[in-house]
Amino acid sequence: MTVEPVTLRYEMVNVRPGYLMIEQEEHTLVRRSYFASDRVPPWEEYREGNAFWRPQGAAQTFQFDVRDTVTGEVVPFGELAGLLYYACCSRDSTVYRIGDLAHDQRISLYVAISTEDEEGPVLMPAEKVRVLNALFNERLKSPGKKVLILPDLFGLHTQITYQQIAIDFGLTSME
Amino acid sequence: MKVQELAERLELVAATKLFDRDVTGVYISDMVSDVIANAKAGDLLVTAQAHANVIAAANLVDTCAIVITQGKPLGEDVVKMAEKAEISVFTTALNRWQVATKLYEAGVR
Repeated sequence: MTVEPVTLRYEMVNVRPGYLMIEQEEHTLVRRSYFASDRVPPWEEYREGNAFWRPQGAAQTFQFDVRDTVTGEVVPFGELAGLLYYACCSRDSTVYRIGDLAHDQRISLYVAISTEDEEGPVLMPAEKVRVLNALFNERLKSPGKKVLILPDLFGLHTQITYQQIAIDFGLTSME
Repeated sequence: MKVQELAERLELVAATKLFDRDVTGVYISDMVSDVIANAKAGDLLVTAQAHANVIAAANLVDTCAIVITQGKPLGEDVVKMAEKAEISVFTTALNRWQVATKLYEAGVR
């Protein structure tokens, strides 16, 4: 018996390795983050008008776009800092409680955390989150298993550290 | 081949309950972002990382099990998270290359 190859509707394309950089303004203590596709993390402090930005952390990660194999449309995900698994959040948090309930139905809850500028992160539009959900769900093999990715409706960027997101902090330390 | 049979052949030490599944491939990586981008559902994940986000990544891509190399101990919270996600986790004193060799010898291609 031959097994027909499964044609997937969505594919990850334009995968770009790099670093998620987190920096803080010296006077206002405002935090922001961005993706840098440099070969090494850009650790430089720099001035921007009256602001003085200092790097606070860097994590290895990647950015990608998603291509619809039917229409050929490419959806960019440049604003995605990473995915946060509900179980990596505090047990007292709303996202943990919802994730725990969803888990009973074999649904694994993740939150799409966006990079943030001085005003905070921009919420990922629902249409893009739908594409992310389709991308990951159509690859699952475990019967009945589902992944549900939500935009950050919980305001988690104020409650979590970047270390809780599924990206690679401190990888040079294997302790 | 099933996870349990492979674990027995490689003399892996169970860190969690067993959730037996078919092993359809192998992915070796220490980067969770790499696992998310490149591992496939049904892959056995071999890694030296033993933190919670390894479970988060393995669960997202639906790996069949995880092998933690070089005898890294797992935290109790990581064990609970893996069991809740129904992902078997094993440990071994072998390094990643040695595990890869044994997987090949066991017929995993």
